[in-house]
Amino acid sequence: MTTLAATGRIPLSVSRRFLAPATLLVLGLVDILVFGKYAHHGDATFAFSQPFAKVTVPNLKVPAAETAYALGAATIVLAALRVMDLGKVVRRLSIGLALAFFVIALLCWAYGGSVNSFNVINQFQGTLADSIPLILGALAGCLCERSGVINIAIEGQLLIGAFAGAIFASAFGVLWLGLIAGSLAGGLIGLLLGVFAITYLVDQIILGVVLNVFVSGLTGYLYDKVLIPYSNTLNSPSTYLPIKIPLLGDIPIIGPVFFDSTLFLYITYVLIVAVQVGLFSTRWGLRVRAVGEHPAAADTVGISVKLTRYRNVILAGLVAGIGGAFLTIGSVGSFGKDMSSGKGYIALAAMIFGRWTPLGGVGAALLFGFTFELQSILSTVNVPVPSDFLLMVPYVATIIAVAGLVGQVRAPAADGQPYITS
Amino acid sequence: MKKTLAASAALTVAGLLAAACGNSTSSPSSSSSSTPSGGSSSASTAGKFLGCMVTDTGGIDDRSFNASSWQGMQEAQAADPGKISVTYLQSTTQSDYTPNINTFISKKCGIIVTVGFLMAGATQTASKANPSAKFAIVDNAYTPALTNVDALLFNTVQDGFLGGYLAAGMSKTGKVATFGGEKLPTVTIYMDGFYDGVQYYNSKHGAHVQVLGWNEGSQNGSFTGNFTDQTAGQTLTQTFITEGADVIFPVAGNVGLGAAKAVQNADAAAGSQKVNMEWVDTDGCISAQQYCKYFITSVTKGIQTAVKNAVVSAANGSFKGGNYIGTLANGGVALAPYNDFASKVPASLQSELATIKAGIISGKIQTPTKSPA
Repeated sequence: MTTLAATGRIPLSVSRRFLAPATLLVLGLVDILVFGKYAHHGDATFAFSQPFAKVTVPNLKVPAAETAYALGAATIVLAALRVMDLGKVVRRLSIGLALAFFVIALLCWAYGGSVNSFNVINQFQGTLADSIPLILGALAGCLCERSGVINIAIEGQLLIGAFAGAIFASAFGVLWLGLIAGSLAGGLIGLLLGVFAITYLVDQIILGVVLNVFVSGLTGYLYDKVLIPYSNTLNSPSTYLPIKIPLLGDIPIIGPVFFDSTLFLYITYVLIVAVQVGLFSTRWGLRVRAVGEHPAAADTVGISVKLTRYRNVILAGLVAGIGGAFLTIGSVGSFGKDMSSGKGYIALAAMIFGRWTPLGGVGAALLFGFTFELQSILSTVNVPVPSDFLLMVPYVATIIAVAGLVGQVRAPAADGQPYITS
Repeated sequence: MKKTLAASAALTVAGLLAAACGNSTSSPSSSSSSTPSGGSSSASTAGKFLGCMVTDTGGIDDRSFNASSWQGMQEAQAADPGKISVTYLQSTTQSDYTPNINTFISKKCGIIVTVGFLMAGATQTASKANPSAKFAIVDNAYTPALTNVDALLFNTVQDGFLGGYLAAGMSKTGKVATFGGEKLPTVTIYMDGFYDGVQYYNSKHGAHVQVLGWNEGSQNGSFTGNFTDQTAGQTLTQTFITEGADVIFPVAGNVGLGAAKAVQNADAAAGSQKVNMEWVDTDGCISAQQYCKYFITSVTKGIQTAVKNAVVSAANGSFKGGNYIGTLANGGVALAPYNDFASKVPASLQSELATIKAGIISGKIQTPTKSPA
């Protein structure tokens, strides 16, 4: 692993310089030649109100084909601007705008002339619901790996968090007990990871995989033997109800998405800020990163490598456990076998795609959640795209976005290497 | 280094043990019943007929076809507890199918029941290699029929049709929705029936009830991609409700619980029971009681009875093999009771459904499907 980081700004290579405008051009052409050309005649309707809402926002109707053409043309203009290279702000803005135009043109194509409307609030609410476990998992990954321990066990921590959350909330009838139990259960797996990785120096990748299999087996076994026979007492938790933030929750469109949700969304906000600030703006964070980059140097100046790593690995487990608890008491209620369904691995990927930074991980998790929800919504209105292909889109989109926007990533230098004092 | 090795070994063993316990063990109730008190275990199983079941990856308690099959097995044991005893092995992945079947062959099981058409290949191979062993497979038929396999197939397009008609009749918004777990023939056959039932309602009543999530013509629609991600089922159902659907029909095993949660949330937001659903495979008021008040009915298939009959026939020597097709006529597929909706489904709609059922049985109403299982 190279320690030669990109410290200075490397000037954009020629290929990369023309790759971006070319990509924009392709997006613009797809907007026009596919979405515009094949859109059904008529309007595409965008709705901004929730079902059964008391106060409704009027729907927006736009002519489908014409809008797609206009957006395509705008994207091509952006491509031209991009060739001129007008600086970093324009670079970033152009990509963001082009992607937004692409999605809107796609929706115009899918909803043009349809009696159904695309509900924007539902799209964003669904995005957040899909993303919360991914975000918390990615934060857990950052906490762990920044201190130099690879955390493949996020999947297991989510699953056991979901399991413990459901049981404790159901058995005691108290939701916050479920939340705490879910978090602690995740922390327990973190502790196990720590003991074997830090004290016993076990290969961390194998360790993480084994822990995931262990949790899947353990929870599956207990589900069959305990939760099924006693499902009414042990696996019927209530779920957190949405809490509306006064004033903010009343803002049209933004309010219902960001400020009228369950406790889990607010916890996620707090944790994103806490982990980002903690890792990059505090003495604690500096020490953690030092341990993750160059443990020997950190040790020399008196930082206890093992203690730091233990603390972070357990902290990470606690965070991932909350993400797990969301799957049951924040979402569907009862626990189901293997219900984490690979979200832990997506979270791990999001963290890596986000260059081992909390905000980057959050961005990647949101991108995945957004595309997952978008394909899910498109599938309901019978777009002429096979469902198997639609289900693949979130993964492909994430990979393309990361390859195109993020490029090469670098892990903390000591990530995955046990620290041995001789 | 020694410490590391020992620790890794211990951990790996613990992990694998837990996985093994969780996913492929026979239930204590069944193994204890197969060991009568007093006799040594080897002698005791010799005199008994052993019915053995291999689950699909959904596991024994999927509230769906594995659970139904296992209930059928247990009913067979209850029918003649002195003679029949039953046991099962769970498959965690598809690569467990063949080893699990082979384990049972070496245990000299009287009949091996495999659950799910994904096991069709493994079952066929095993049945050809062991012509004297008897098998039954749920959700599959063989052409040509195999003599030592009871293939149990269910024409769920027929009761799906009834479910679709009922959903259309109960919808106030003129939109109903269905979605699947994975795009498998055993899933889409329900969705085809549901779709046709809605179209039939439209033609009979001059209505324009729309089906979201499935189109029979293009064979394309909404799927969560697996049978475990309940959150995906919840957000998908939330989308259907947002689009105006008020009867939801998930064909996705446990993922349907996520749909039920979304229905519950929507009704809480609406302040009254505006959105309802239909359960699949089993009577939802038994398998997912907590949501019974939202279930208009359940579109079921009689796996339980068919499996029981297969095991009992093998035990008393009347095993025939070949293909069995469950239909409305032989009761192999049916709509479950209305339960909480008995008084809410209008009498006229109930009698129309009875007429349609008779029409399907007599062949007067055709129920085409593009999903031959």
